[in-house]
Amino acid sequence: MKLIDALKIIASAPGDSSLFTVALVTGFSPLHLKSFLQAELQQLFPQKRIVVTTGLFGDVAGNLRELNTTQPDAAAIVIEWEDLDARLGIRQLGGWDSSQLDDIVSQAQMRLAQFAAIIGNLTVSCPLVVCPPTLPLPPVFTTASWQTSEQELSLREQLTNFSKGVSQNHAVRIVNAERLAVLSQADKRLDVRQAWAAGFPYQLPHASVLASLFSRLIHNPIPMKGLVTDLDNTLWNGIVGEVGPGGVYWDLDHHSQGHGLYQQFLSELASEGVLIAAASKNEPATVTEAFNRNDILLRSEQVFPMAVSWGSKARAISTILAQWNIGPDSVVFVDDDPLEIEEVLEAHPELTCLRFPSNDPQAIYDLLNRLRDLFGKASVSSEDKLRLESIRVNSAFQNELTNVDGFSEALLERAQAKVTFSAAKNGGDARALELVNKTNQFNLNGRRLTEAEWHSYLGQNGSFLVTASYDDRFGSLGKIAAVIGRQSASVLHVDRWVMSCRAFARRIEYQTLMFMFDKFEATVISFDYEKTQRNAPFTKLISDLCPNHPSTGCELTREHFLAVCPRLFHQVLEAPDG
Amino acid sequence: MDEIRQRLINCFIAVFPTLNVEHLELVAPSSVEGWDSVATVTLMSVIEEEFEIEIDPENIETLLSFDSALSHVRQGLQNASGD
Repeated sequence: MKLIDALKIIASAPGDSSLFTVALVTGFSPLHLKSFLQAELQQLFPQKRIVVTTGLFGDVAGNLRELNTTQPDAAAIVIEWEDLDARLGIRQLGGWDSSQLDDIVSQAQMRLAQFAAIIGNLTVSCPLVVCPPTLPLPPVFTTASWQTSEQELSLREQLTNFSKGVSQNHAVRIVNAERLAVLSQADKRLDVRQAWAAGFPYQLPHASVLASLFSRLIHNPIPMKGLVTDLDNTLWNGIVGEVGPGGVYWDLDHHSQGHGLYQQFLSELASEGVLIAAASKNEPATVTEAFNRNDILLRSEQVFPMAVSWGSKARAISTILAQWNIGPDSVVFVDDDPLEIEEVLEAHPELTCLRFPSNDPQAIYDLLNRLRDLFGKASVSSEDKLRLESIRVNSAFQNELTNVDGFSEALLERAQAKVTFSAAKNGGDARALELVNKTNQFNLNGRRLTEAEWHSYLGQNGSFLVTASYDDRFGSLGKIAAVIGRQSASVLHVDRWVMSCRAFARRIEYQTLMFMFDKFEATVISFDYEKTQRNAPFTKLISDLCPNHPSTGCELTREHFLAVCPRLFHQVLEAPDG
Repeated sequence: MDEIRQRLINCFIAVFPTLNVEHLELVAPSSVEGWDSVATVTLMSVIEEEFEIEIDPENIETLLSFDSALSHVRQGLQNASGD
């Protein structure tokens, strides 16, 4: 991004929208880094007006402490070498003689320990993006530039330990130095002239790249949920229908290592909870046989569903999306054939379609990196690991539902369902926030929350958080619903209510209402309902419950709820607080 | 209007969105809202980036009026092409 473009974006920000405040913590003059950061964030949060606050020159520690007072929605913390010891900068003449080197190293160690302690003691609960030094070290060491000195190694070791230590705090996200190196060449970062003239040490392109990385880490995009892969010349090298299950390869010996790496990568994604399906024009029996090979790296049980037929891939993907019950905008399709990709894109324009570049090793490697970015997440939750199993469970449930005679009541009754509610107001419940920010269909109003808004909401007096976990004789779905709201006397105001689509048709929503009426001794529940393009399942519920106010919201009395509530068969448990 | 002049106007507008381009001869820190030292440094960087020239911080006062900034940019471009 050019500086002039950043300024234009800032100037066109919506004036009357809610603020999103980001504290930019630096020891240098933040100047254009501030403008770039504001512009990048403005593009990622178009509904908000971005405000970037800055602190005092040369006082990283003080500016960090100030976060407790300003309570921003996010913080971007840049630590440069001179913040660790002024002698590692170029604006002060503190002496570079070799007798001082060990002292510089120990000063830096003390300063890093101080920063770590301050970050560890921050009471602010917003995302904290931390960037260790990006500028080159000045020629302070005795070695020539092509040799790393012992002191430099010590400094880098301390930095690694610092980053590792502060990243234990779940709010902290560390800028990836390797990614930064790809985007911003090391010798094109320092602007000596600007550093001396204005106290701003970055060349504009470097400041722009840094701001872009900060923004991504603050925005923290929701990862994709599923990947549909082609098989022939994609998952393996060769056409299995022609050469047979033993004639397709994915190893170095057969010049098909890229396919092996791709399989290994998909297997890893599956273990992280990403849904993997196959869409292939083949005979199902042949494909099954290929998946039975001992050396295959992506096992058949990691792939669901296996949509193998001679029909169109666009149709196969429709079937897969229906079984997964997720939208195409959360799914990636990988195929080596551009024509297949075009057909699929025509039917599902929201799908992310990527070509598998069979004959280009470097491009295959780049594809894996691209996929890592699309599916990347900071940690893998227990619900992530349960996802594939719960989709299978849901499929079994649905199959049985269609096979039973009469009403599904009988099935629900036989399901041995158990719902475990928690009313502990745990702001650290990352799964609950994830549900709020990922769920589209059973969603009260489609409104998302930043981490800071989430913590701020739950910090209010009278606010509540209710979560629900579900399991039945088919298996466990894990934590599948979250409700947040405020209690005022005997009235509950529900501001967000989401439930995973995997938990539909089990009447968990009714059980949730029952729980809330009982738990909070409420007589009325009011819903901040808003119709969205995708929340039809919730609209159906609200219409059933509040037939007079289906479009704008409703109030549900306990009396009316008990009159319309269908039979519930769940065993209800409540998790202990905390 | 010549291209350099228009590009320079764009630079000024980017830094000072409320600028009245009808009266560029009046443009000065005292007459433009928000024109402080940070804005001057920002203007300098925007102009440098736009025209791919370097402005010596010693000459930063040439940016304090539109006409002198325009002359400075023309001179900078001439020097660059002369190299």
